[in-house]
Amino acid sequence: MQTITLRFAISAMLAAIGVAGLVIALDYDFGTARQMGPGYFPVILSILLTLLAVSEMIGAFLKPEAQTIDWRPMIAILAAVLGFGICMRFFGMIPAFFAVIGLSVLSEKGYGFVPAAVLATVTCAFAWLLFSRLLGMPLPLIRWDF
Amino acid sequence: MLENILVGAATAFTFQNLIYCFFGVFVGTFIGVLPGLGSLAAISMLLPISFYLDPTTALIMLAGIYYGGEYGGSIASILLNIPGTPSAAITCLDGSPMARQGRAGVALFITAIASFVGGSVGVVALMGFGPAIARIGLSFGPGDYFALMLLGLVAAVTVGGGSVVKGLLMVVLGLLLGTVGTDVTSGEFRYTFGYLELRDGVSLVALAMGIFGIAEVISSIKDAGQRKIREKVTMRSMLPTRADMARTVGPMARGSSIGGFLGALPGAGTVIAAFLAYATEFRLARDKSRFGNGAVEGVAAPEAANNAAAQTAFIPTLTIGIPGSPTMSIMLGALMIHGITPGPLLVSEHPTIFWGLIVSFWIGNLFLLVLNIPLIGIWVRVLQFPYKYVYPVVIALICIGVFSMRNSVFDVGLAVIFGTFGYLMQQVGYSAAPLILGFVLGPMLEENLRRAMLLARGDATRLISDPLTGSILAMSLLLLVWAVFGGLLNLMRTRARAKLPPGEA
Repeated sequence: MQTITLRFAISAMLAAIGVAGLVIALDYDFGTARQMGPGYFPVILSILLTLLAVSEMIGAFLKPEAQTIDWRPMIAILAAVLGFGICMRFFGMIPAFFAVIGLSVLSEKGYGFVPAAVLATVTCAFAWLLFSRLLGMPLPLIRWDF
Repeated sequence: MLENILVGAATAFTFQNLIYCFFGVFVGTFIGVLPGLGSLAAISMLLPISFYLDPTTALIMLAGIYYGGEYGGSIASILLNIPGTPSAAITCLDGSPMARQGRAGVALFITAIASFVGGSVGVVALMGFGPAIARIGLSFGPGDYFALMLLGLVAAVTVGGGSVVKGLLMVVLGLLLGTVGTDVTSGEFRYTFGYLELRDGVSLVALAMGIFGIAEVISSIKDAGQRKIREKVTMRSMLPTRADMARTVGPMARGSSIGGFLGALPGAGTVIAAFLAYATEFRLARDKSRFGNGAVEGVAAPEAANNAAAQTAFIPTLTIGIPGSPTMSIMLGALMIHGITPGPLLVSEHPTIFWGLIVSFWIGNLFLLVLNIPLIGIWVRVLQFPYKYVYPVVIALICIGVFSMRNSVFDVGLAVIFGTFGYLMQQVGYSAAPLILGFVLGPMLEENLRRAMLLARGDATRLISDPLTGSILAMSLLLLVWAVFGGLLNLMRTRARAKLPPGEA
């Protein structure tokens, strides 16, 4: 029997966020009920989050249900967004668009190089026209900036 | 009233506003037609563009996307049996059987008409009740605001169905995310981890795009291959019989009223409006076996309801400044970026925005009628376009949208993180709507609570003993208790039968 289901893992993660949030928020000034400090709200929220997450963890533990994750599209799409960010930072807009389209088409088998390249070119040209030409945003097409 | 409408007409009928209104409803329908992408993602994508527009024009365009999406969503429901937007899910129940019986055209025609009727009723309600509610809103104190926002959050969790614990978790997580950044009262940085970018808080666009846009694209790729449309939709096939027409009048009227009422409540929204309208028709019907087998009432009522709700959703957003749904919260954000604070003063201080927007709703609904009846062929073709060419472009546009908001690579990174969690959480049945709502309402909730407690000299019982604040808080509590102890079991059971996806509330 699979005990660590995705549902359990997610609730454990939320509990961890709650505990971490509480530990950090304890450093902020709590204040009083009359004059709440910056720590008041976060402390209460963190405690609530932790309690709710623990009850969800128990629920998930008692009734484990298998969940499916489509790993391939998930990794491809996330890599595409990440690739866009990295290329935008270092190489400019044209590489960024080829990166995001090139990586996201890896979600499916046998997508083909030509349609991907056409999509990247068209989307990049459209975005350049709209954001750079029409709206005047500073978006370098190509750069080399480390 | 007439005077106000004229002011609005003078604003809405300028060439620029007409163009952007059309652009908005066109994009909205387009996005609504495509399954897996909602109006929220589209609005977030176009938000950066709206900075370059006059605030009224920007709002007209963004609002057009929103209610346009409600029209478009049902097209996919009818032709593909896949809802284009969450609120059109219920339309699948009878819309899809109608298509299988070769009556897709009639279903589409009735949908368009019902949507138009619902939208019009919603606009009338907005005109009639909006200013009145704004006047009441003027007397609200911070305690009342706090209580109202809390009620909205509780309603978003409980009325939406599904697990209450999961919904509350998302609300609290959203509230916590909302505290990231500079504390308004003390100026202290909270949860910034030394990042300069986080001092202004987490970017709403990065969060919304990650958790809705990216997560939804990932989950829509798998089943994209099996979409096929067999029916041909011609103008002639759209004409309903006289019996069809007679059957839809009542459902349209009831659906519009239900939707108009629910849309104005914070936290309820279009999905619930459509669902309840359908449930009402089902209960009223003499011959229940027709439902689920292509009953025209089952198409007309929910479509009238979700469009009425889409219009009245603007009532709390514009007149009190409390958004009822994630999409409305983005709209609120757009207004604030332009330096306009939505609230009771908006109607009196910015009449051109308020009335201009209302008149643009009329125009937009007329545009949509044209787009959905004579030009229906466009959307059928959009649906036939292979999805494999659509999603890479959508992801690229999401990226550039997130980036251009603040010219920030950091935000793109945040979108990756939120996208990961968003997708995984969606797979286990968490819905993202309460999270976004919590995130947007969080800072306002905290500020009003602090002010209210200061006024009450730190005594919480004073806050509760105030008649208005106390009764709203009691309502929230009641709703929560009702939800936890199975009062909604019946509702949820029926929802499960309808296979409603968790999503935009």
